Parts: sequence; structure tokens; C-alpha cells
Amino acid sequence: MSAAAPPTSSPSPPPRPAKARLPRQRRRASGPAVALLARGEPWVWLTGGTLTVCLAMIVGLMLLVLYQGLVTFWPQPVVRMQLADGRTLMGEVTRREADRSQAPAAEAPAPPSQPTAAADPHRDLLRTGNFELTGAHFAWVDEADVKQRSQPRWALVVERVEWGRFYGLPLAILQDSQPLADARNLEGPAQEDACRQIYTLFEQYHQQARAQRQRVTDLETHQIGQLSRQLEESRLTIRQAELRFGLNSPQHQQAAAEAQALRAGIDKQLADLREEIQTLKAQNARVQLLLATADGRTKSLPLADVVRLYPANQLTLAGKLKVYLSRWWEFVSAWPREANSEGGVFPAIYGTVLMTLLMSIAVVPFGVMAALYLREYARGGWIVSLVRIAINNLAGVPSIVFGVFGLGFFCYIVGAGIDQLLFAAQLPNPTFGKGGLLWASLTLALLTLPVVIVATEEALAAVPRSMREGSYACGASKWQTVRRIVLPRAMPGIMTGAILAMARGAGEVAPLMLVGAAKLAPELPADAAFPFLHPQRSFMHLGFHIYDLGFQSQNSEAAKPMVFTTTLLLILLVALLNITAIRLRSRLRRRFVGNQF
Amino acid sequence: MSARKNLLGIALFAGLTLAAHAQVAVDPALPEYKPAEGVSGAIVSKGSDTMNNLMTLWAEGFKAIYPNITVEIEGKGSSTAPGALISGTANFGPMSRPMKQQEIDEFEKHFGYKPTQLSTSIDMLAVYVNKDNPIQGLTLPQVDAIFSKSRNLGYPQDLSRWGQLDLKGEWESAPIGLYGRNSASGTYGYFKEHTLGKGDFKDSVKEQPGSSSVVQGVASDRYAIGYSGIGYKTADVRAVPLALDASSPMVPAEPQNAYSGDYSLSRFLLLSVNYAPNSKIDPLRREFIRYIFSRQGQEAVLKDGYLPVSADVARQALQSVGIEPGF
Repeated sequence: MSAAAPPTSSPSPPPRPAKARLPRQRRRASGPAVALLARGEPWVWLTGGTLTVCLAMIVGLMLLVLYQGLVTFWPQPVVRMQLADGRTLMGEVTRREADRSQAPAAEAPAPPSQPTAAADPHRDLLRTGNFELTGAHFAWVDEADVKQRSQPRWALVVERVEWGRFYGLPLAILQDSQPLADARNLEGPAQEDACRQIYTLFEQYHQQARAQRQRVTDLETHQIGQLSRQLEESRLTIRQAELRFGLNSPQHQQAAAEAQALRAGIDKQLADLREEIQTLKAQNARVQLLLATADGRTKSLPLADVVRLYPANQLTLAGKLKVYLSRWWEFVSAWPREANSEGGVFPAIYGTVLMTLLMSIAVVPFGVMAALYLREYARGGWIVSLVRIAINNLAGVPSIVFGVFGLGFFCYIVGAGIDQLLFAAQLPNPTFGKGGLLWASLTLALLTLPVVIVATEEALAAVPRSMREGSYACGASKWQTVRRIVLPRAMPGIMTGAILAMARGAGEVAPLMLVGAAKLAPELPADAAFPFLHPQRSFMHLGFHIYDLGFQSQNSEAAKPMVFTTTLLLILLVALLNITAIRLRSRLRRRFVGNQF
Repeated sequence: MSARKNLLGIALFAGLTLAAHAQVAVDPALPEYKPAEGVSGAIVSKGSDTMNNLMTLWAEGFKAIYPNITVEIEGKGSSTAPGALISGTANFGPMSRPMKQQEIDEFEKHFGYKPTQLSTSIDMLAVYVNKDNPIQGLTLPQVDAIFSKSRNLGYPQDLSRWGQLDLKGEWESAPIGLYGRNSASGTYGYFKEHTLGKGDFKDSVKEQPGSSSVVQGVASDRYAIGYSGIGYKTADVRAVPLALDASSPMVPAEPQNAYSGDYSLSRFLLLSVNYAPNSKIDPLRREFIRYIFSRQGQEAVLKDGYLPVSADVARQALQSVGIEPGF
């Protein structure tokens, strides 16, 4: 580096000084500082330093996300605190801060006798759970008010399907209200044994309960889902007949009669399924876990409602790791629950990937063809320059503008037109005339189009003129040259453009809020139901999910860590998409190198 | 109340209000939801951000019963609901404020009848301060003087420092940081109408995109004050007791006060639907509305931190869209 620097930077400093200062300059020129400057060493340091600052910022951000995202699911011990006022709280300490409330509290009409003995007064944010009993998920506890702090051996953390977490001590496990194991009215070792027995029994029954719950879900989503789809279809056929042939026309009446017959059969099947589900649910409700809260209230939980349960204060490192990994697995593979504040983000991952892929499929051919024309066919002139300027400006348009355009053009004009033509039976419920996967992909394709065009143009320009001339000399036409000589050569550069476009598209959120990303989209935009890809459905998106968790969540304290995990996931996903594309590119490059002669 | 407070110390105030929260329960007269046949289609809801989570919870519960319906929920503010109902892009419009006359007229112009608004649950609009803030309570004119530059409720002076509200120590010179909602929000409109006397907000109010971010702003800014639905309360903030004027008592934001009507900023959370009077409502909407006013639906209200409606209100709401309540 320093060897290459002198020729470019050394001539410039000496001629610049004024003539009057020549002697001083000469003296200085012999000094080490000027020599250093002349060799360009400081510039190396400056540029290197700038790079370091950039890297530090990026790495710092990544580390923050990584740290916050990774610690979120690690199980914490459960602490029981007895307070001076007689209340007892139990939960996980999630945050600690220096207590600044003491000073104003002393001046308020509060008691002056409060003994603030602690050297560094602090308070803990305790996640107390048990929302249906207390009406809050978290509570601040002042260190000065804690009389006794303990970690009960059998304190259980229960993650539930509904109502958030529960913290309690095991009392009994009941089957049809008969205790299978009972720790009530026991003391010392006997109680300990009973607790262990309850826990073992729980693990044994829980598997089965969860399996049955899963079965219920399967029945509901697949079987009932299919039947309801048939019903909906039959309703639509009637409506279509009505629209085409008129109300009470023979065709309409015939369709109605057919649908009636179909409906009777479906209703029968539905009733059977409902009954089966009821039976399963009743079976599931038979086994219940009886828990005591820290302040002595009891609560019974059906086992099937428990997602995960562990005695937090007894976990070994391996046990903690198991809980940790199982939480991560749930996070990436499960559906969200409780208005997105719990459960997983699977549909959001799915939606993000699918949307990005569709966008790439839309944007790459368009961008490449536009660039081909611009570079290979168009005659240079003011129009082409104007087009180039327009494309470059397009790259600077705020993304929300694209969102507004997508909503106005795709959803309200194109989509509504499609609805009028093809989906009149569903109206007034819009099919394409609202935000959906297709419109979101197309909007983002528009947004990333300049990236692809510019990258492709550069790649095409980098193909040596001699190669084209060689091709023409052999008698190839323009198109043959482009197709066989120029495009393969430019392919890696085009792929770079596509990668940049994908990275930009996957991380974009603002336009999606207008054209199809939803807080809750209970159906995947591509699934096993014909026609498999449903471009009209709205979808969940990781970026939008982050926004939703961060700004809309009711239980914002619990949602905050989820923001980081989701962010981490989004970054990983974008990285994964990029790496795949980069590998594809290097493969293309290798193939191309092999063809050289 | 005050005796207990002395015992606890101010720092535990958050915990205290929590303990004082008598457990609210769903009206026992409300029936368990019973599934009906022939429900299919799409629930598309556009409107209030305050009710965003509530709509999601209802939809999740409803979807568990009818797996094949599709659900889409968008919550960008109550003002988006009437437009979506008129254009037919949504079949439910959750709103945290009643429709304005202008919105009703627009709707009527389109359909020839008025939109129907169902009272689904009760929210208390709370004025939040940081958990460390020692303020005992505020009167509405004081709140007005804090948030508004017009001071339509007639407080004599502008309030911009906590010292003006008799707070001592470090609070005396601390400026009041203001957090509020953006203007599409029904909460914004309600607050403007009921506490500012339709006056204008100060320019220094930091407008937030969601109810939760108001609370988070107040949680992280020690000297801040903000307003948001009670459902978004966290342990980091405290809902200030409010009084109508200097002569009336301070009323804490607690369920019993909302039900009794003593808390001045309690409101119904509404669900607007397009229902032609005396017509037969389609099965999907009928069943979703029945679900909302069932035991399960009102439990979801509790889960989201709001207050369930009584059986009388539920009955009225069901009748207003031509559904036989059956309880």
C-alpha cells in the first residue's frame, strides 16, 4: 500500500506553498513529519481509521442485537420475595436499576422512618406473570422493602397457551378431580417427594395431552378447513349462477339445489368432526395441574394448555440449555399466540422468504431486459441520458412513496379490476382489490428495479469491446452476440445486482404496511390447498412484526426482548438469502472461467 | 387508601394499584359461545390501533372455532375505519371513539342508512407518568394546561414544569415531557375533545405511532407525561388519578370507577359495522359479533387489559344488528 502511494500523493505537497515561505518549507521538508506525509502514511491511517469506525458501528449494532437476542430465551431462576407490607411476590428478575425514587419519596408525605440501609439502593423488575389473578405481568420491587428473598426449590415456570406465564408451586396433579399425586398438607422430605412425583407425572401425561391438542388442531385446520372450503365454494357457485343467469333462473335454482344436497352431507361430516373434537377436548380437560401462587391462591391448569413447564431453580446447565433450545425451536417453528406477543414467528419467516423470492422473480428479468436495451440497443443521446437520470432518481425515492403507489395502482386499480372481472361472486369482499402477497412483491420489485438496472448496465459495460467485435467478425448477429457472448460474461455482475436488490427488498417494511403485510394472517400465502400459491392473501413479515411488537404490543415489557430476537432472525434470514445468491454467483463465475480459452 | 400508601412507600405505588385492582370478572349472565353452522368468508378489520390487539385476540379465538375463515387485521387509527367500511375493503371497523357526524353523513350518503356502532368493551383513557413521579393526582384543567396551548378548560396559567404542580426537589425545575398519539388515532380525538375542550395540542407533544410507544416513551423519560389506553399499562408507568375540577375528588383509573362512571375518561370501545336496518346479517358477521359478546369474547377483553361490558350492554348491541341475544 505505502509502496504504491508515493507516486500519487508525494508530488502534490511541495509545489503548493507560496514562494515567500520557501526556506521554511525546505527546512520542514527534511523533517520526518513531511516525509511521512509525503509517503502517504497518514492517509493510510485516516482511511483505515474510517473503516475501523464504520466496522465498529456495524459490529456494535450486531453485537447488541446478538446479545439481546440470544439471552432472551435463557431460563432465569425464580425468586420469591417477601415484602415489608406482607405481600409475597414470585417471579423472574428481568431488569435491575438504581433506585432514584427515594429522594422525592422522602419529601412527599411518606414516612420518614423508612430504613434505607442498603448502600446502593436498587430495585428489580420482577416478572410475576399470573395475569388473570393479578392484572399485571410485571412489578417493580424496591430492595429496601424486601424482607426475605429466597429461591424455592420447586418454583415452577409455566408457559401457557393463553394468559402468558404462570409462576407457582406444585400442589397436586388431578385426574377427574382425584389426586394422582398430592403435596398438599405435607412438610419437609415428604413434600419434596410429592413434588418430584407431581413433576414426573406431569411429564408423563403432558406428552399425551400435547399430542391430543395437536390432533385437535389438525382436525380443525385440515379436516374442518377442507369442509368449510367446500361450503364456501358451493355458496360461490350459487352466487355465480345468480350473477350470470339472474336470480331464480333455472340455472340458479339448480345450483342452489345441488349446493343444498352437498351442504347436507358436509353438515353431517362437520357434526361428526365437532363431536370428535369435543371428546378429545374433554379428555384433555381431565388431567389438571394444581398450583399455588406465592400469595397462597390456587389455580388449576389443564395439562393441554401448558406449553412448557420447568422447575427453574433446579435446572442444571444441560436442563437450561434444553429449555433454551426448545424455546428457540418454538420461536422459529410455531405460530404466534396471544396477539403476537407469544409463540413463534413461523408465518412471518415464511412470508418474508416467499415475498422476497417472488420479488426477485419479478424484478430480475425486467431489470436485466431494460438494462440490455439501454446499453446494447439504444442509441446514446439526450433521451437515454434522461432515462438513466430518471432511473438513478428512482433509487432515491422514499420507499413509502412506492407503498402509496402500490396501494393506489395495484390494489385499488388493477386489483379492483381483476375482482370485477373474475371474482364478482365474492364482492363486496375484495379478493385482489386489497393488499396481498402479489402486490407487495410487485411494489418491492419496482422499488428495487433501479438497483438491478444499474448493476446490469455496469456489468454489460465491463464486457470488453474486443469480444463483441470478435463475435461480429465471426458473423454473429447482434442478438446472438448479446445472448452468447455478452450475457454470460455479465452474469456475475447481474447476480450482484440481484443480491443487492434482494437484501434491500427483504429488509424493507414501510411500503409493505400499505400493500399487504398484516399483523395476523392466519393462512400462509402458499400451502397445500389448491392452487398452492395464493398471491391475493395478505401475509406476515418479520420487519412488520418487529414494528408491531415494538410499538403495538399490549404487554410491551415482555415484547421488548422478542423485538431483538425477531431482528436477529431477520438479519440471519437476509444473510442466508444473500449467501445463497453469492454461492450461485461464484458457481456461475467458475463455469465461466472454465469456458475461457 | 392513604394509610396503605404510607405503609408501602411511594416506590411501590405500581404494585399497590395492582393489588387494589379488584379482580374484574365477566358478567356471569353472558353465555358461553356455541358454534353455528355455515360460517365462512373473511373477517377484514381496519381501524383503531387501541383495539388492534383486542381484534387480534377475538380473531384468534374465533379462528380456533371456525378454522377456515380468513382474518386480516389492520390498526392504523380509528379514522381509517369509516373509509374502509364505505369502500367495502373491511367488514369490521373497530373505533376507539364514536363516529363524527361528518363520517356518519358520508356513510349515509353511500348506503342510505347510518352505520351501526357496537359497544364491545370499556377502556379508561389514562394519563401516565413515570413510576417515580410523586404526583398525587391531576385535575382535568391541569391536564389541559399541560397538553394544550389553548387552555379551553380555563386553567389560569400554562404548565410546563413539574414545580408548577407543587412537586419539590429535583422535580421542581424539571420540564414536563409530553407524549401523545398521532392525529389518525381515536385516542387523540377523544383526548382532544374531552380533556382539551377541543383545544389544540402544544407543538412540543411528541406524537407516537402506537399506544404502546406512548407508554414506552413515558417509561424511559423520567419527567414525561402521556395518555393512552389502560390496556397498555406496564410496571414502568403509573396512571395518575384524575379529578373533574379542583373541588371534586381524585379518582384513580380503576375498574369500579369506570363502571360507576366516576372516572371521567372512560369510554366504550366500538365496533362499527355496515348493517342495513331490519335486514338479516350474514352468518360470518353474525357469529363474530355473537362471539365478541360471549363469555370467551369478553374474557379476551380482560386479557387485553380492558373492561368487559355488562350483559345489558351486550344484549343491546346484539339487538342493534338484528341478532336475538338469547340471554
